[in-house]
Amino acid sequence: MNVVSRGIRNAFRNGVRSLSIIIILGLSLGLSLTMLIARQAVAQKISAVKSSIGTTITITPAGYSNFSSLNNSLTTTQLSKVASLPHVTNVNETLTDRLFTAGSSVPAFGGAANTTRGQTSLTSPVKVNLGNRGGRFGRRVFIDGGGSLPSNFTPPVTIVGTNDPQRLNSLTGAQATLTSGSYINGNQDNNQAMISSQMASKNNLKLGSTFTAYSATLTVKGIYETSNRALQGEVVVSLPTEQAISGQSSDVTNAVASVDSLDNLSSVTSAISKQLGSSADVTSSEQQANNAVQPLNSVKSIALFSLVGAVVAGSVIVLLIMVMIVRERRREIGVLKAIGSSNVRVMFQFMVEAVTFTVIGAIIGLGIGIAAGQPVTNMLVTNSANSSTTQNLAGGGVGRLYYAGTNTQTFKRPTGGFFGRGVGSVRNTLSDIKANVGWVILLYGLIAAIVIAVTGSAAASILIARIRPAEVMRVE
Amino acid sequence: MLKVKKLTKTFQSGDGRVTALNEVSFNIDEGRFVSVIGKSGSGKTTLLSILGTLEKPTSGTITVDNRELTGLTAKEMVAYRCKQIGFVFQGYNLVPNLTALENVMLPMEFAGVPAKQRIMRAKELLDQVGLVGDKIQRKPGRLSGGEQQRIAIARALANQPKFILADEPTGNLDSETGKKIFDLLHDLSKSQNTTVIVVTHDLSIAGKTDQTFKLEDGKLL
Repeated sequence: MNVVSRGIRNAFRNGVRSLSIIIILGLSLGLSLTMLIARQAVAQKISAVKSSIGTTITITPAGYSNFSSLNNSLTTTQLSKVASLPHVTNVNETLTDRLFTAGSSVPAFGGAANTTRGQTSLTSPVKVNLGNRGGRFGRRVFIDGGGSLPSNFTPPVTIVGTNDPQRLNSLTGAQATLTSGSYINGNQDNNQAMISSQMASKNNLKLGSTFTAYSATLTVKGIYETSNRALQGEVVVSLPTEQAISGQSSDVTNAVASVDSLDNLSSVTSAISKQLGSSADVTSSEQQANNAVQPLNSVKSIALFSLVGAVVAGSVIVLLIMVMIVRERRREIGVLKAIGSSNVRVMFQFMVEAVTFTVIGAIIGLGIGIAAGQPVTNMLVTNSANSSTTQNLAGGGVGRLYYAGTNTQTFKRPTGGFFGRGVGSVRNTLSDIKANVGWVILLYGLIAAIVIAVTGSAAASILIARIRPAEVMRVE
Repeated sequence: MLKVKKLTKTFQSGDGRVTALNEVSFNIDEGRFVSVIGKSGSGKTTLLSILGTLEKPTSGTITVDNRELTGLTAKEMVAYRCKQIGFVFQGYNLVPNLTALENVMLPMEFAGVPAKQRIMRAKELLDQVGLVGDKIQRKPGRLSGGEQQRIAIARALANQPKFILADEPTGNLDSETGKKIFDLLHDLSKSQNTTVIVVTHDLSIAGKTDQTFKLEDGKLL
């Protein structure tokens, strides 16, 4: 029996009380570890997003939104000057429009009034849910002035003309794989198209089949697979084809410039802004990443405050408990001092008692942290992202899809997008956060337990030092 | 030899300054069995506390073998209490969640005695005070008052102190058990040459000690 074993044994003198203390501390430490796990997971995600965001710059017509670009598009002439700027390795240009199925009624969609209102023989495979307020096409549709959808309504088909269908310049987002046929040539006016397997199935199309868009006939050259619902309802054609058949010769609604290195990203962004003046909005991938991870930064802050709060709460709990215990054992402390124990030794014994409580509480808290870390992280990220997305996408219409393929026949929906600046697609992946419990978490848990025990024992130690054994002798 | 000279202790009370001990002086030879008697509030416990270095006197001196105790630092007082003083209290004051054996081992732990020696010595002492068998592994709550006081005496003797200071050691016991405890203290003081100072109300006990001091209103009569 020594001071340590005596302290440990004292922790269990009153079973019911000890159990209560340990449960309360377990919950407190569990909350702090959960927040620590969430914070770490979010920090890792932010780092991953920033490191993978790439070296691209998105260029859109100034103030562009909701397919209104028909009156203020960029031009291929403007973008050719951008392509010739130093450190710009490539400029991927797209022209996007919406087509309405021939014979269907077309209500005035909120935030999507200015399109060419061209027609197509295709029927979109995308199902529509009617919403009363703002939303994104493919998920919810809202109608100007309210009212209900006509019975013969079908969702519009988004048509995207791009000069580089094979280029994969996106960072994250919906992935699509070309499963049959081949890529179209993005620089030729060839009236060829790539469609999703869902679009093909819905319209009984296969490779070589034709369909109409505007007044032109297009041939299916490639079919891709994707799980992204919006992507399923799109048609990809070459930029010259889209410019020709939509009657928007030389118009471009979006461009993504690639820069040779991250070091030059900022200077090239400035150079493009200077080149295009007030006619374009220029956003670098770095800025987009910062915008995209903004909700995660909020989660990080929330987690940090909760972590500190939980540790402080734990310390206060231990402090009050230890003060109560010292007051209860006042006579015993006096006796220990009378028979030769020093103040330090008695304090140490009580500190061991407090550490015993907190270490057991930490073990329980670790269990809670492991169990709750992932759900709490998801909940915090989802709530934060939803709140931020609602702000950014309010009034949004049909999202534009931009394709960039690679020679591996895989292409992704880019973040440098048209609507919502592509942030939405990054956000889709932000919720995919893995909360892991590593040695660092265990170490933090142990440190938190010791900090709680030591700070919680401080007031008790002062009380112990003040107890005079002579006074205790009189309390008979 | 214990020499107490003009020992005075005053303290502040709600009603003003109270003099608990008023220039008390006496000498006690080594190995003597001494009783201090007096009414409640006469200063008996205060005298015991000062002799045990639990508190300091307002004035006066205490000398043990030519060593002045009133000038000791707090750290020196702890060390002195640990090795030179053994306390026996009226209410036993054993640590409730430790066994009899562990209670006796406590002062030896504070004195830095190795664990094995502590166990051997504690068993020996418990045997001397008549606590044997499985009782030494029992906690105080499962022992009688007399048995608890025996443990307290064994604990007081643990570090072979110069003095045992007993504050009403038989106060909570019936007369028969009280007599046994008194006899035990008496025998141990003789066998171990320990000076025992007992504070008591019991005049029959006081009559059997080597020396008796009577306190009244803080003064030695």
